[in-house]
Amino acid sequence: MFHTEILEVNMGPQHPATHGVLRVILGLDGETVVQCKPVIGYLHRGVEKLAEHKLYVMIPPLCDRLDYVGSASQNLGYIQAVEKLCGIQVPERGQYIRVILAELNRISSHLVWLGTHGLDIGAMTVFFYTFREREMILDLFEAFCGARLTTNMFRIGGTLEDFPPGWIEGTRRFVDLLPSRIKEYEGLLSTNRIWLERTKGVGVISAEDATNWGLTGPPLRGSGVNYDVRKAMPYAAYDRFEFEVPLGTHGDTYDRYLIRMEEMRQSARIIRQALDGLPGGDFRGKVPKKIKPPIAEIYHVIEGPRGEQGFYIKSDGTEKPYRMRFKSPSFVNLQALPALSNGALVADIVAIIGTLDIVLGDADR
Amino acid sequence: MSVGTLVRRFFLVEMAQGMWITLKNHFRPHITMEYPRERPALAPRFRGVPRLRRDPGTAEELCVGCLLCEQICPDDCISIVVDKRPGGKGKMAKSFIIDYERCCFCGLCVDPCPTTPITAIYMSHDYELSDYSRQEFITQREALVDGHPLKRYAK
Repeated sequence: MFHTEILEVNMGPQHPATHGVLRVILGLDGETVVQCKPVIGYLHRGVEKLAEHKLYVMIPPLCDRLDYVGSASQNLGYIQAVEKLCGIQVPERGQYIRVILAELNRISSHLVWLGTHGLDIGAMTVFFYTFREREMILDLFEAFCGARLTTNMFRIGGTLEDFPPGWIEGTRRFVDLLPSRIKEYEGLLSTNRIWLERTKGVGVISAEDATNWGLTGPPLRGSGVNYDVRKAMPYAAYDRFEFEVPLGTHGDTYDRYLIRMEEMRQSARIIRQALDGLPGGDFRGKVPKKIKPPIAEIYHVIEGPRGEQGFYIKSDGTEKPYRMRFKSPSFVNLQALPALSNGALVADIVAIIGTLDIVLGDADR
Repeated sequence: MSVGTLVRRFFLVEMAQGMWITLKNHFRPHITMEYPRERPALAPRFRGVPRLRRDPGTAEELCVGCLLCEQICPDDCISIVVDKRPGGKGKMAKSFIIDYERCCFCGLCVDPCPTTPITAIYMSHDYELSDYSRQEFITQREALVDGHPLKRYAK
């Protein structure tokens, strides 16, 4: 009877809820989203190409700036890939320090996610509390390596330095404090009526679809697929620690929220174990003066805060990589946005982008 | 919907719970800082801008002009011209320029510095480098040794 057509609306690239510069072209039928097309590339810096012109030791600062919320994981992944390529052994203490810092970084990344995700949906208070706790982690990073965000704290063969005096006690204090603070966030959100309405049954993806889209990290585990690189292919010292991989059942936004909350607790558990069993000895192994890997290709994956971080290096036997490629979880998770948002409302798009926990620096590289 | 849920909904239990947490946090110590007037205590390893230093005892140039920091810098922000050390053996940097506009504060330049026990180039505790012109960021050796004057604000 009436003439109707699909309305095309741009969301972003400067929308505060897109966590960076992401443009989503929405086709709207009233309030309902019938088409969804993410457009990326606004933060493209050509990091992979830049890396081809740099020595192997110069690349970690670039990796920091991929996923700037989880820079320790990026660093760790790249450096382990180089170590694998050159066959460099890392002492046990170095591995433990790496695990502790990577897990602290996972907690800080999840805290940023929780704060901003809550902010998107309308729970403003959580943002202030999570950033207060994140500040403690950043202070620990500053005490360890001197920088807070783009840390560049690992070196080929180990870490930059050993723990400064008082650091271990400070970390212990933080790790002991964290579970009570997580309880507070859950008190604000888990049973909150608005939060439940906005997250339950929003952005549902089945286990099969999640695997087919290639989702990794919490979005994959939220659908109940038990895949965590730390368990499947243990790197660093992860095989020495006891921890559980939380799994969801419904594959909706609320499940992914629960998983990330539990992951923070498990990370705290890993840090506690690592601090208890911290071995003595060197933190940095013997490394040749010039990093000159043999002609080979390597692909190394780690479990970053957002999912599977891949690092592919092709070496032609010189001091610079011939080809460099980063497989970023943000990019693959973002691909599933149309699948997740089919039939959702406009306001749900904000929740779905938030639950995927994308960092555009990582997606665009 | 179960009776329990209904009761919870009717009495706004989750709201009271949230408000209780907010109230609890109201009495926790403040964590915000009035930045330019209050400054955070920096960690000893804090990475500010890279600077040069002289020997604290003899005030002699520490830099031996080995060019290792120039080579490792991922941003090519260090440029050094090497010359013979006057009245002594070895080399020194005739000119040492760091372009702070390009520097990414990664700290890689400090790693290979061969001077012992303290390195000639180090990550200082200086921050706040904003300036009006790009020329100001190209820093010569004298300014690298002396550092930037830090603005102080009365509280």
